[in-house]
Amino acid sequence: MNAIEIENLSKYYGKLRALNSMSLEVPEGTIYGLVGPNGSGKTTLIKVLVGSLHPNSGFIKVLGLDPLKDKWKLRKQIGYMPQSPALYDDLSARNNIMFFGKAQNVPDLKKKADEILSFAELTSRANDMVGTFSGGMKKRVSLCCALIHNPRIIFLDEPTAAVDPHLKMQSWILFRKLAQSGVTIFISTHQMDEAMLCDKVTILRNGEILAVDTPQNILQRGKTNLKISVNNEEKVSTIDSTPKSLADELKKYGLEKNITSVELHSSNIEDIILSIVHEKEKEEKS
Amino acid sequence: MTHTFIIAQRVLSQLKGDRRFLALSIFAPLLIIYFLKLMFDTFPSFVDVKSNTIPISAFIVHFLSFILCAVLLVQERTRGTLERMMIGGFSKTSIIGGYSLGYFGLATLQAITVLTESIWLFNLSYDTKTVVLLFIVIWLLAIVSVMLGIFISTFAKHEAHVFPFIPLIILPSVFLTGLIIKPDGLPIWAVIIGKCLPLHYAVNIIHEIVKPEYKIIDTLVDFGVLTGYIFGLLGLASLTLKETE
Ligand SMILES: Nc1ncnc2c1ncn2[C@@H]1O[C@H](COP(=O)(O)OP(=O)(O)O)[C@@H](O)[C@H]1O
Ligand SMILES: [Mg+2]
Repeated sequence: MNAIEIENLSKYYGKLRALNSMSLEVPEGTIYGLVGPNGSGKTTLIKVLVGSLHPNSGFIKVLGLDPLKDKWKLRKQIGYMPQSPALYDDLSARNNIMFFGKAQNVPDLKKKADEILSFAELTSRANDMVGTFSGGMKKRVSLCCALIHNPRIIFLDEPTAAVDPHLKMQSWILFRKLAQSGVTIFISTHQMDEAMLCDKVTILRNGEILAVDTPQNILQRGKTNLKISVNNEEKVSTIDSTPKSLADELKKYGLEKNITSVELHSSNIEDIILSIVHEKEKEEKS
Repeated sequence: MTHTFIIAQRVLSQLKGDRRFLALSIFAPLLIIYFLKLMFDTFPSFVDVKSNTIPISAFIVHFLSFILCAVLLVQERTRGTLERMMIGGFSKTSIIGGYSLGYFGLATLQAITVLTESIWLFNLSYDTKTVVLLFIVIWLLAIVSVMLGIFISTFAKHEAHVFPFIPLIILPSVFLTGLIIKPDGLPIWAVIIGKCLPLHYAVNIIHEIVKPEYKIIDTLVDFGVLTGYIFGLLGLASLTLKETE
């Protein structure tokens, strides 16, 4: 089943077109990445999906429900972490989490809050006011608030921006665990390298989808620079990133003893996504 | 209904945690009333300052409750917690209800402290019945102010948007409701505007209550209007508070 279905979704802010007739499908239990530079419409799309913004046109189903008409049914099943921390500075981390947990009538809330605080490595600061926290710590509290009621689908708007690398990795390990238990995770990021950690990625620019693919397939769109030394003579070539092309290229030299070294430089996912975005820009200019 | 209490409880624990805010909402009115006393002391003795003391105290509560409540709610909008509450499963009605209930406590505290100080500072000798009635009026007015704050906050995208409403609503209250001068001499349209403002009814009741020949029946209509404002503004706020944009 698809957790999210979108068809021809458009959203305007006055004259500005933030989402342009967009269609996509998100299968249940996947980590779905929304990747794009600032202003590409990631936040707008998430807000429309959680039912906080009215779309101008299009068809949306989240868990088979309409985000606006079936909002009460849906709100029990979704977790939402906005891009800004959206926390109460003058409440403690624990009280922030408890407050949003109470809204969802979470059973055994105290215990659940302790668990989630300990996952986020916030136990020692649990009773401190959130106002005294750093940006990354606020992000973690905010993530806890979005997860406290065990939602079936989670919308995370740039959850790892400003989080240190260690906790960023911890978060991704948790996302993976949640996905394995059947939770769908819809996550936006402007950090292109995080695309590698998703099951599927949509690349967004100016409210338009430039590509939808698995990170592996996106990687193969990249180029590999190859430096082969034969009898100490260097030969440079550029091939695409599939394993087959590499084998083919090497076969030319017969894989013989006179190959003294092989140097490979493949473009990483960040380079590839940026080149997809730039290509589109060039296309529009010409 | 439980959601309303959850929000009220949160508002109260926020108020408790925020010392500056608490100081502003409780001690600021007391200080201002003391300044009032200093000013009134310089007036010649034939000016009747006593009858103006309680109405002005009521006005201070009105003004501060309105501003503080509106700003706090607008802050929820700018910080994104309002959106988060709604997506998190709180309804509009429980948000408005929770805010009103949370501020109920603050309004009660304000009404008690302000009234106590005024009576003590100005040596006002009222009997118990009068004091209780005065308390009820100020308390009702404080609740109206909270509702007004909630209602106005639904039009504001930023904290700064609250401030234009000060000259729009609060200043006319000073000039047109009988707070300083009796509105009888004003042109008819100004009297009508005055009668649209909730402070008008509170001031009216206060002037009546302190008269020796006062009977509750004389002010029943004004009490009714004041209570009507509470429910009217509550209804309006639940219409103008948007869940989606
Ligand atoms: N409330 C708003 N009013 C007007 N324009 C907006 C509003 N929110 C976003 N936009 C515009 O819509 C576009 C997409 O924004 P957004 O969804 O926030 O992008 P992202 O989250 O990818 O950075 C941007 O050009 C932004 O300026
Ligand atoms: Mg964004």
